[in-house]
Amino acid sequence: MSSGYQKARGGWIIALTLVIAAILGVVPMPAWLEFWRPEWVALVLIYWVIALPHKVGLLTAWTAGFFLDVLEGSLLGLNAMALTLIAYVALSLYQRMRMFTPLQQSTTILILIGVQQLLIFWVLTATGQNTPKNLTFVITSLSSALIWIVLFPLLRYWRRAWQVH
Amino acid sequence: MGLGLFSLVLMFADSRFDYLTRVRYFAALLVTPVHYVAAIPVRVSDYIAGSFKSRNDLIDENQALKEQLLLEQFQLQKLEHLTAENHRLNELLKASSDVEQVVVRAQLTGESPDPFSKRVLINKGSADNVHIGQPVLDAFGLMGQVVEVGYRNSWVLLISDPQHATPVQINRNGIRSIAAGTRDSLHSLTLNNIPNTSDIQVGDLLVTSGLDQHFPVGYPVGIVNSVTMDPGKPFAEVLVTPTAHIDRSRNLLLLFGNKPEARVATPVVSATVPVVSQVTLEIPAGGSIVQPESAGADAEVGEALPQITAPEATGSADTLNAGIPVTGGQQ
Repeated sequence: MSSGYQKARGGWIIALTLVIAAILGVVPMPAWLEFWRPEWVALVLIYWVIALPHKVGLLTAWTAGFFLDVLEGSLLGLNAMALTLIAYVALSLYQRMRMFTPLQQSTTILILIGVQQLLIFWVLTATGQNTPKNLTFVITSLSSALIWIVLFPLLRYWRRAWQVH
Repeated sequence: MGLGLFSLVLMFADSRFDYLTRVRYFAALLVTPVHYVAAIPVRVSDYIAGSFKSRNDLIDENQALKEQLLLEQFQLQKLEHLTAENHRLNELLKASSDVEQVVVRAQLTGESPDPFSKRVLINKGSADNVHIGQPVLDAFGLMGQVVEVGYRNSWVLLISDPQHATPVQINRNGIRSIAAGTRDSLHSLTLNNIPNTSDIQVGDLLVTSGLDQHFPVGYPVGIVNSVTMDPGKPFAEVLVTPTAHIDRSRNLLLLFGNKPEARVATPVVSATVPVVSQVTLEIPAGGSIVQPESAGADAEVGEALPQITAPEATGSADTLNAGIPVTGGQQ
């Protein structure tokens, strides 16, 4: 009884963190800061995949990505695909990721978000949408990797405080 | 794997067809609260900035607005005369019918988090009869068009997006061209296929030509910023700065009443058309352009313009009658 209740509550908390990430992802910011906006939803998703791989997987990633597409008004399926890819890689890496030092984790995040950005970049180019001419999108993966150092302990603290498992 | 393939199919369907409009519409309903929460910081800062204005500032602003209103009303008198005259001339030529334009005020509530995407979110949706393709203006010129409609909000594609092209003509001599958006993060447009010999100068005003049967004729689009004529290339390189404050305007106008059935043009012999377009070009274009330019002296006044004229035109708080004739010069 209580475990079923806890399970349901855990689901809500995961959803809540994703929604907060989505809000942070669209909150208006000054133009120069826009480039530095981390991929909040992707980061939170990676955290949950590493922490609870039996619970948060490809389907969650795809659903989160789908709603992110609607939220950002981007091509339907674009973020869905990118987040599914990230979740897939994170699922295959989670045992190692848990053992990593913060710096190693951060580097992995840099690569993961970089790959995601690249994928989005390809699709945008293929469909003739506006894309950066230079490599400014690398900044996004850099800021995501930096924020991960703070985000990981924070989310872990929340997970333990709310006993999500 | 399956999900990835499904995403690919979804993206293809979304970019090529419009099957997914309903899906988007209902999914957008679910994410509306997220937009609402995300806009709270802006709303709070607006509120704080609004409530801590000094009395002297308000008095000054009030004074400036009154002067502006006087000026606008003076110009409106002239405009009414010109509208009537234009109408009579059109009737003489049996060219086309004037369509009264109704505009509805909308507010910008967000923009795409992608710094390279030139899309903005407005607070009007299908509940306010917004439809896809609807032209969006600010007090200074054309901003873009609605590309996606939700229940209470819609996405607007700006004219500076590389996927957007606007048929324009030079206000001075009527040379037609197409102003396409560019890939840079600044909001500028380029004119494609302008021959090196054509009469185009820096500072020329571009207005919508209406030849797309989509944007009404005579709204300012941009001002020619630079003209590079390289004899080695077949076409001149023309850069245009939009007159609309694309990156600053918060108060926008949605244009109603330019659906195809409303713009009935009586069949005309093609030889008479150039005459018609010349007549319509000079009169309404001048009328509608003088106004925004004088409003350009003060950004705040310009943005408050719809509020001022609203009660006078129709009495409704939200709707006003721009009274700008549209002549469907069909060619």
